[in-house]
Amino acid sequence: MLLLGGFGLRSQTERADFVYVNSSGINTLDPAAITWNQDIRVAINLWEGLSAYAPKTARAIPGAAYAPTVSDDGLIYTFTIRPDARWSNGEPVTSADFIRGWRRAIEPGTAADYAFLITDNVAGAKEYYQWRNDAVGQLSSMKPGSASQRSRLEEHAREMETRFARVGMEAVDDQAFRVTLRRPCPYFLDLCAFPTLMPIHRSIERLRINRDDLGLTREGLVIYDAQWTKPTPRKNGYPGLVTNGPYRLNRWLFKRRLRMVVNPHYRDSDSMACRTVDMLVFGDINTAIMAYEAGEVDFLPDTSVDYDHELARLSRSGQRSDIRCQTVFATYYYFFNCADESVDGRPNPFIDPRVRRAFALAIDKRVLSEKVIKRGDPPTDLIVPPGSVAGYVSPPTSSYDPNEARRLLAEAGYPGGKGLPVIDILYNTGFDHGKVCDVLARMWQRELGVVVSMRGKEVKTYAEDRRNRRFMIARAGWYGDYLDPTTFLDVFASDNGNNNAGYTSAEFDQLLTTAAQETDPKRRSDILSRAERILVDRDQPALPLYHHTQILAIKPYVRGLYPNVRLVFPFKYVSIER
Amino acid sequence: MTRQLIRRLLIGLVTLLSVYVITFVMVIVVPGNPFASADRSMPPEVVRALEARYSMDDNVAYFFQYLAGALRFDFGPSFQYKDWTCTQIIAQSLPVSVTIGLAAILIAVLIGVPTGVISAVRRGGWFDMTALGLVLIGVSLPTFVTGSMLLTVVAVYWHVLPIGGWGTLAHLPLPAITLSLPFAAYIARLTRAGMLDVLGSDYLRTAVAKGLDSRTVIWKHAFKIAFLPVLSFLGPACAQAMTGSFVVEKVFSVPGLGQHFVDSALNLDRGLVMGTVLVYAALLIVFNIIVDTLYAWVDPRISNAVA
Repeated sequence: MLLLGGFGLRSQTERADFVYVNSSGINTLDPAAITWNQDIRVAINLWEGLSAYAPKTARAIPGAAYAPTVSDDGLIYTFTIRPDARWSNGEPVTSADFIRGWRRAIEPGTAADYAFLITDNVAGAKEYYQWRNDAVGQLSSMKPGSASQRSRLEEHAREMETRFARVGMEAVDDQAFRVTLRRPCPYFLDLCAFPTLMPIHRSIERLRINRDDLGLTREGLVIYDAQWTKPTPRKNGYPGLVTNGPYRLNRWLFKRRLRMVVNPHYRDSDSMACRTVDMLVFGDINTAIMAYEAGEVDFLPDTSVDYDHELARLSRSGQRSDIRCQTVFATYYYFFNCADESVDGRPNPFIDPRVRRAFALAIDKRVLSEKVIKRGDPPTDLIVPPGSVAGYVSPPTSSYDPNEARRLLAEAGYPGGKGLPVIDILYNTGFDHGKVCDVLARMWQRELGVVVSMRGKEVKTYAEDRRNRRFMIARAGWYGDYLDPTTFLDVFASDNGNNNAGYTSAEFDQLLTTAAQETDPKRRSDILSRAERILVDRDQPALPLYHHTQILAIKPYVRGLYPNVRLVFPFKYVSIER
Repeated sequence: MTRQLIRRLLIGLVTLLSVYVITFVMVIVVPGNPFASADRSMPPEVVRALEARYSMDDNVAYFFQYLAGALRFDFGPSFQYKDWTCTQIIAQSLPVSVTIGLAAILIAVLIGVPTGVISAVRRGGWFDMTALGLVLIGVSLPTFVTGSMLLTVVAVYWHVLPIGGWGTLAHLPLPAITLSLPFAAYIARLTRAGMLDVLGSDYLRTAVAKGLDSRTVIWKHAFKIAFLPVLSFLGPACAQAMTGSFVVEKVFSVPGLGQHFVDSALNLDRGLVMGTVLVYAALLIVFNIIVDTLYAWVDPRISNAVA
């Protein structure tokens, strides 16, 4: 019986050339649907977009295509795919593969969180996406299986190709791929390295649901068997996952181990030192740290433990050169409910910008960072991490000033906090969130004389409350998706789906629109800086606290692996020199 | 006997169905959106498409659809891990938990039973006192303490076994021993109490008076009866051990089923919540039936009483 249960246990497993740890399992390996950092980490090693990430800076460098030619107005990008770009089954990578991947990402059935990277930038993509969504909405509301639904579905299927032809993706030939943008996008090449914009091999079509009929579900969705990301062959002659990156997927055991082996057809495969990479899942980071110390693991991208400030101290004092502190392209902040007159029946004072400013100026972020978090996260008054985007100059801000805070609060009609309702703060439990919230609450009580109630919720219910604006102040954080200030600023645009603060400013929106049309990098940067100033020095919809610092552990014998602001690690550059 | 077994199986099925209904209601009423992430809102179109794909827009249809699937051991797709079905997740993690659980129960019986018997026979002696102390520690110390201690000493300092993970036989001993300790302590206590009870009974005194040697008296006559409470404990204990322990799996980073009980609930991953609960309930029912059958075999008074 024990032996029966123990199948899968071997006497020994072969160690990969390079072993790293993920504290949680992979959520998905479908590049279009990927949103989590740990998934991106695997995806950028299995696939290669038109661009790729430079190992040290995480900036975009040519990937599966050469550097493109760009039209003078910055709207047309013509890429030439490298003749030696190959899929892991040896077939050449073509323009059609990129169109397949990008198109799939904007299909409603894929439900890609990051579809906006394409719909916001590629000409005609938003219109196609909207048209498809409307059609799916209509088809879903019709009687399932009825003749009218069927005829509407057939009509829709016929129109799909005509409509898609208007989207700015064109396969000039197998190697030339022309992309037309809806607006100039100075960071477009950066987007081309992101998993959402990866090519997809044609074999996926073998697993398309209803492939022999219209290729659509009754609701008009294009859906594939979710098993297509598995390395093993499936029905209809599906060969298992085919990828075009430096590695191919060899084995994937749920929340246990994922093995990548070198893609023999990849152009640099001969010079790659790491032939096999293992991603191990350790649910408890403490155990992962022990495994690292014992030499079972070479790299820990995340060491979020209770004593991480101690690790940071060891690193900064030079006692442990293998432990690295990296400030990432992210901002930890709280935002105010700027929209609703009342929250849960209580009046909401935060619709007045003076109250928001007062609450922001009452927080001593240096104390928070140095005395509470103690990890070395740089305190900030800014939304866009300063110095992270080349050419972008951060606006001036005002820092901790409790006297000014009290004056503003009195001016708003709440002298000494009198007249304010109990301030409701929403945060999600876990990590340092409770600790940070507690410090903010104490500072507000001390400096402004307000009464605060903290509401810690589990992440899914917190997200629901946030989305429905059931809060006065809520915790938030933002990791930049691409190296441009707009990845942070867009969140505060009136029509942005992530603008949970409900902040609206015609002036701010106008600045973002103007910047989007501006082709001169200097002028564009100035406009965006003015926009950020509105957020951090005037309207204050958010209270920035610090830029997150990640603590990583890299064994001294690992070469070619560099901590960077995006925490992306192309393993093809890694070598082991013991 | 057969009629009794069929009756128990039928009751088990009804119990399983009730468990399903209660769990279903709970996952439906719990607040929160399973597709939500902490910092990002999803476009409404995306949410609609996902809800349609995962049958979240029609709870009644989902109830029957899931039930029909569960009867074929198809627990549907996972909401959180979109590349996996719940059946695949359970199929990969259950064998891990079963292996650790069986090993743990085996260790627990091997330690607990002899300890209990010897303690009872040498009641009040140094062995009994020491064993009682150890049992107290075994029952009271939480597994995350014993697990971390074992891990630190055996794997980190002695380098005898690997630190966490799963894949080789060397990964088995530490989690199995950690998981076995509370069971071993409880079994030792049950055996000791049972033995003390039996050792004072008339028929044993008769056996001793007849001149049987003490080994035969203890192991053949006394133990058989004293073991009954242990046997009835083993049913639920096996089910509990084999469906995984969240803490032990966390400490040793073992990819067992226990983590999914907690994670799937936190992730609002409906299919996986119901799948894990149903598997656990089914195992519990099956083990209880097995133990009751064994019980009747060991102590014929039970089956006679039923007959």
